[in-house]
Amino acid sequence: MKKVLAIVLALVMVFSFAACGKKQSDEYKITVWCSEVEGVKDLFAERIAKFAEENDVKISATVEGVSESDAATQMITSVEDGADIFCFAQDQLARLVQAGALAKLGDATAATVKELNSPGSVANASLDGSLYCYPLTDDNGYFMYYDKSVIPEEDLGSFEKLIEDCEKAGKNFSFQLTTSGWYNASFFFATGCVCNYVFDGDGNVITSTDTYNSDAGVIALKGMQKLLKSGAFTASEAGTADFTAAIPSAIVVSGTWDYNTAAEALGDNLGATKLPSFTVDGQTYQLGSFNGCKLLGVKPTTDTDKAALLQKLALYLTNEESQLEIYNKFNWGPSNKAAQESEAVKSNPGLMALAEQNVFATPQGQYPGNWWNVTKSPVVAAQKATTDAELKQALQEYDDAIKAGLAANGYIFVGAWNGWDNADGTMKLQGEGNVYSITVNVEKSDYMGGRIVKASSWDTDKGCTIVTEGKELISEDGGSDNNIVFLEPGTYEVTFDEGAMTIKIVKK
Amino acid sequence: MKKLTDLEYLRLSKGGKALYKIKLFLSSIFPAIGNGIKRLGRSVGGFFQKIWNGLRDIGRTFKDGSWQTKLSYFVMGFGNMSRGQFAKGLLFFIFEAVFIIYMIFWGGHWLGKFSTLGTVGPQKNVYDPTTDTYISIPGDDSFKILLYGLLTILFIIAFIGTWIMNVNQNKTLDHIIKSGKKVKSGKDDLKSLLDDQFHKTLLALPVTGIIVFTVIPIIFMILVSFTNYDAAHDGYSNLFTWVGMNNFNELFFWNSGSSNLSAAFGEILSWTLMWAFFATFSNYFLGMLVAIMINKKGIKLKKMWRGILVLTIAIPQFISLLYVSKMFADNGLINGFLLNMGWVTPATVIKFWTDPTLARITVILINIWIGIPYLMLISTGILMNIPQDLYESSTIDGASVWQQYMKITLPYMLFVTGPYLLTSFVGNINNFNVIYLLTGGGPTNPKLLTSGGSAGDTDLLVTWLFNITTGAESNYKLAAVIGIMIFLVVAILSLIVYNVIPSTRNEEDFQ
Repeated sequence: MKKVLAIVLALVMVFSFAACGKKQSDEYKITVWCSEVEGVKDLFAERIAKFAEENDVKISATVEGVSESDAATQMITSVEDGADIFCFAQDQLARLVQAGALAKLGDATAATVKELNSPGSVANASLDGSLYCYPLTDDNGYFMYYDKSVIPEEDLGSFEKLIEDCEKAGKNFSFQLTTSGWYNASFFFATGCVCNYVFDGDGNVITSTDTYNSDAGVIALKGMQKLLKSGAFTASEAGTADFTAAIPSAIVVSGTWDYNTAAEALGDNLGATKLPSFTVDGQTYQLGSFNGCKLLGVKPTTDTDKAALLQKLALYLTNEESQLEIYNKFNWGPSNKAAQESEAVKSNPGLMALAEQNVFATPQGQYPGNWWNVTKSPVVAAQKATTDAELKQALQEYDDAIKAGLAANGYIFVGAWNGWDNADGTMKLQGEGNVYSITVNVEKSDYMGGRIVKASSWDTDKGCTIVTEGKELISEDGGSDNNIVFLEPGTYEVTFDEGAMTIKIVKK
Repeated sequence: MKKLTDLEYLRLSKGGKALYKIKLFLSSIFPAIGNGIKRLGRSVGGFFQKIWNGLRDIGRTFKDGSWQTKLSYFVMGFGNMSRGQFAKGLLFFIFEAVFIIYMIFWGGHWLGKFSTLGTVGPQKNVYDPTTDTYISIPGDDSFKILLYGLLTILFIIAFIGTWIMNVNQNKTLDHIIKSGKKVKSGKDDLKSLLDDQFHKTLLALPVTGIIVFTVIPIIFMILVSFTNYDAAHDGYSNLFTWVGMNNFNELFFWNSGSSNLSAAFGEILSWTLMWAFFATFSNYFLGMLVAIMINKKGIKLKKMWRGILVLTIAIPQFISLLYVSKMFADNGLINGFLLNMGWVTPATVIKFWTDPTLARITVILINIWIGIPYLMLISTGILMNIPQDLYESSTIDGASVWQQYMKITLPYMLFVTGPYLLTSFVGNINNFNVIYLLTGGGPTNPKLLTSGGSAGDTDLLVTWLFNITTGAESNYKLAAVIGIMIFLVVAILSLIVYNVIPSTRNEEDFQ
């Protein structure tokens, strides 16, 4: 009995000690994730310490290296266990907002950020008109590195001549066309294709303008084919390390992060400039590019004091001084306007080439997750394709896949009018409130029925029983599947309100 | 069907014999299936019978038991405590107390939300004017509800089990006291754990480990496959909920335009099986061949040959694989060498990783390179164990080398290494390392991409699963379904093969 008592007492003591060591109220414990590139962690830790000293607060920061492309996935896996402040690549913004992993910037802070940073980077940090994070760099674009000993200067502007030069020298042309949608967008933008996805504040796609599947898209693929079908083409993902590969490249399309490797490999022979132009059917197109940035975000908290401190710290970590220090150590091009004007930044050859290319760049917005994967498919198909029809087919498949991806989040109106095929029946989300609508053209047939289904299900609860407006247009009896059966052929607008679970039908 | 006697059978024509065999097979297969169903029915019936018996037993114990036993039905451990087993009784009592407290303060909360997985989402972007910041107020967290709900259910099951144990203990105590024997003390119980109950002591840790690290995650994964848990419904900011069989429908029946997951799944599954087959058997037979060659009489420097082969094991696999992956790249060392020798031109470099068929062949070949040494080591030992007199007598009888291999070496090897063959086949189905490090799943396959699979030509089910969960899509629900599918494929194959291989039969049957 005494032994038992002793054990219980011991346990009680352990717990009470644990309670004592829990928290000291005036110290903020924060976790910061930044690039795993060597030295970045130390720099961040230094800057945080300096911030704490200047503002006289106690911060105990844990700085961890998590690559910018990986940070979003890790945050989404568990927002609660994620870092308080984290750096990420900008293509992840919509996902992070959707997962509730980013705190919106306060009005005054937002105004400061807008004033201090380049407009492109501010646009890249915004979603649905509000700023959700802080621009850290403005250099996530690509341009062309080349070997001066192989490529004569007068050929630089012409894609065709560059390929010829590489072929003649028996060297490669590295361009990640088949392995990355980010790089092959260059050709689509060149021919005037538009690819815009508009997200709402919840990170869902509302509308999209995607003209890859068009004649301009075919021309873009034809332009790419010139390189894809050349023996010099390589889609190696090694970047400028290709300059020293066993079969070396003479041209590598890559970004500023690769400058040091390139300079080491080629020395004085290294050149960097904007991307060339290609010619299809007598018309010349200047290659475009994506222009993006690295962003720094703050995780939402419930504690207002901590939230305010984190926002102040985030602003400090992305201010002119911080960005210049980052530039000096790692050559990351700043987004801060004052930092961009500094002599050192202006004379950096990599950043100069990027600036040249940026004239033709498209600010990288947000894209649905599967877009990055699916955009590879038409280019891979073009590598083998020989006719225009095959190219069109490849683009059509791309378009279908993207639409199917979007439909997976919404509703589809299937029925006799689209042959019960899901692809053409995707209903469009109408702004706020989860209201979906579609206009269909019902032709005369024996059975003019159909119903609204959630993607990947054939549920029957969104049929004729919940029609509130336009009941006179449809048959009263929907059959066992509760279908909406139109009485007359014609054009109908069908609107489904997911929240209220009602359907409105209007004849046009 | 009538069975023919030997003579009747021999009288049949060639075609007749074949037909007879087929008929015999078919007539035997239906009773077998029937028997299987009967046995299944019997075991299900037996299960319910057992539960019924158990319940009746508990009721009878209550009726016939002493008052201590009766009270123990409600206050667990009372019977033990009041009859000299103080420590044991106290443990029972504490367990009950902990259970009740947990259920009142936490368990009820989680269980109540388990059926909906949460109804109130977080309030996002709440403006705080004093500090000019936006904060968020968390609501339900579907992930936690699912996890803690599951744990609570398991806790309840554990409680019921303990309660039954408590009843049984009291029943035994009643018996012992009635028959006038001495009740075992706590010390005796502890001693028995090191003596006649030693198996329990030994198994406690492994069983706990398996439950915590294997069983619970598997049950959790199965539950996830019935929810819509993905990037858009992450549980924390956007609740996820039960969706029934939707995910299974999506994988098998849903198609929309070119989006057709079942086609993608079929293609990846068929390549996975193809890969597992070639990777396993190429290693097996080539490894054996190398071992036989090195074992041959008259081969000099045996140790050196073995040493050279074993070197590939000495280097960590992921280093050598990454290096080999670079070597075989379009602009890598191999192509560079071929180009310098003038055997290829820049336009005809061998596209080891970018041509779909070639990539598949290359991964199998490289897998042979890293797999042979292991097989060689295993076979060397077994080959040395085959009685030499078998070979000698067969040589005298005039058997060729091939006949010796087919009739002596191979059966012996298969008998001993059957289970190894099975595990390595299963291991290859889930061979993440080789595929991921060599090709990363590539080359890009437009059909697989547009059909919604986000996979490449050399992706196995397991690397596909990896892409789906860690890529831009974070499609956990689909990954859970694929996980279940991988489990089914592996389980079915293993069961069939395990019942077919000779190793599982009696050793006497061999030869």
